[in-house]
Amino acid sequence: MSRSSGPNSSFNGIFPEEIQGVFNQLRNNLRFLLLGVGVFVIAWGGFSGFYTVEPTEEAVVTRFGKYIGTYAPGLHFKLPFGVDRVKKVKAKLVLQEEFGFRTQERFRKNNARVLKESRMLTGDLNVAIVEWIIQYQIADPRKYLFNTQNPIRNIRDISEAIMRRVVGDRSVNDALTTGRVEIASEAEKLTQEVFDRYDLGVRIVTVKLQNVNPPELVKASFNEVNAAKQEQEQAINMAEKEYNKVIPEARGKAQRRISEAEGYAIAVINQAKGNAQKFLALLKEHQVNPLVTQKRLYIETMEKIFSRLKVIVVDPSVKGIMPLFTNPENKIEKKI
Amino acid sequence: MNPKISLMMIFCSFVGGGVFYTSTFLLPEGKQAIITQFGRPVGSPLAQSGLYFKLPWIQKVCYLDKRILSWDGHPNQIPTKDKKYIIVDTTARWRIIDALKFIQTVQNERGAQARLGGILDAITRDTISNHNLVEAVRNTNDILELSEKLKAQQREKEIIEEEITGEIEKITKGREMLSSMIAKLADQELRSFGISIIDVQLRRIEYESSVEQKVYERMISERKKIAEKIRSIGKGEQARIQGRMSRDLQKIESEAYRKAQEYKGKAEAEVASIYKKALVQGSKFYEFIRTLEAYEKSFQEGSQVILSTDSDFFKLFHSGM
Repeated sequence: MSRSSGPNSSFNGIFPEEIQGVFNQLRNNLRFLLLGVGVFVIAWGGFSGFYTVEPTEEAVVTRFGKYIGTYAPGLHFKLPFGVDRVKKVKAKLVLQEEFGFRTQERFRKNNARVLKESRMLTGDLNVAIVEWIIQYQIADPRKYLFNTQNPIRNIRDISEAIMRRVVGDRSVNDALTTGRVEIASEAEKLTQEVFDRYDLGVRIVTVKLQNVNPPELVKASFNEVNAAKQEQEQAINMAEKEYNKVIPEARGKAQRRISEAEGYAIAVINQAKGNAQKFLALLKEHQVNPLVTQKRLYIETMEKIFSRLKVIVVDPSVKGIMPLFTNPENKIEKKI
Repeated sequence: MNPKISLMMIFCSFVGGGVFYTSTFLLPEGKQAIITQFGRPVGSPLAQSGLYFKLPWIQKVCYLDKRILSWDGHPNQIPTKDKKYIIVDTTARWRIIDALKFIQTVQNERGAQARLGGILDAITRDTISNHNLVEAVRNTNDILELSEKLKAQQREKEIIEEEITGEIEKITKGREMLSSMIAKLADQELRSFGISIIDVQLRRIEYESSVEQKVYERMISERKKIAEKIRSIGKGEQARIQGRMSRDLQKIESEAYRKAQEYKGKAEAEVASIYKKALVQGSKFYEFIRTLEAYEKSFQEGSQVILSTDSDFFKLFHSGM
């Protein structure tokens, strides 16, 4: 290119020459230029002609913007130059959304927004703090990508609304204690129904309640109820313990008393029978010889008695000796 | 080659490329488009994805979403029919069903969101304030049945553990119906903007913060009441068991006494009859024998007695005969 002409050279004379120069140079370089462009185009086509899909993913392919298919993990070919476009979706992974808390460290600081997610009204117009998770899989990547603008936001919104609806039909007690499993399974069912209505392409794996608590300010009074339950149980147990301690013993004692009475009855009857027998036997003898028997019995008895007594025999003529016997320890029997 | 022709060719290919580029466009999946010519919409909206042609430069393509879109409302403080102040947070899902109307009336998504906000907020406010709070909280009357069931159970068990406190109102509509009412009304109004409301969800309903404090206080007093009741039931049950114990104890003891007395009485009666049977045969002789026995028993070992020799026993002792 000639740059010799100064700024004040004639415009008319120079112009065709200038173009001629540029053109000559262009023609010389055209071959290289075309070669460069060709290599570039081939390289571009080559690199944009295939793609790989990771094991956790599925690939959604569109041709001129139109959906043509969903492909499994592996190496795949496609039309180059952006004619076919690939969007990869983590279809195999179980994804999780958390409500009322965040496991990730950077969200740990429970800010008000997160706390708000978990605060809800129960059917008896009390407040409960319900934390839960929803785990889901992308069941249909095409629907997931093209049916809703913001699937995750939808998942969160619906799950929150449904959880509140389910808890709203329960008493606060139920939500805190026995109803947990039912609440989770009902929420899962209803949430899936709504997802299907939107054709979201999402399948819920599970809905699980995490912590369910009364609000912080009310917690103490809930604990008091639990404590009262313990007290109730303790009072009843104590009474029952006392009962169990006393009654069986009393039963045994009563049985003993009855048995003793039975024994007594048997004993006195046998004694009576024995005495009667003895009397009848003696009577029989007595009837044979009344005086002899009577005398014999009298003497025998006296013998028995006197053998164990200290007997002082006094002649009737020495009456009035009583003051001699003043030993207080001895029983003094009067005369027979 | 004539340099002029080469120049022409390059120029033409640039121009041709430009024309081709500006006269085709891709409509991706999940989008719809409308073609405008100098700002005026031309033809019907395009909904099917793929490759399309248009006039270069003078026609422009306006893309709109075909997918379900979300609307997120601001929490609103609304008084209910029963004068309870609550904060209601709603979300809605909507879609553009008439692209032409949509661009003409709201231009773009941002404009639509603003319209949605205005209309949905107003309808939500009207609907909520025309109903009692419970209608927005509960969906069914299951809780009433549950409470009945609980009460029946407790009657059976005799021990009341805990109960649903407070008046539980019957609902006639319920949360789901309220939200579908809102959705229906909003849908009617938004049709003219080319928008269809798919659903409205009452995402959050909570007490307004000053009310919340009172609710907490009520909850606390309710729990305290329940705790007291539970304790008193415990004490009552304890007293009942103690009473039963005392009753059983007295019953057992008195029954034992009765039986013992019965046995003893019967035995004594029998004894009497045995003696009677024997004694009628010789009552004089019995008197004699019984007297002797009594003597024998009356004197204990080592007792001292003073006897006069003129007693019958010493008759021989005295007289020798």
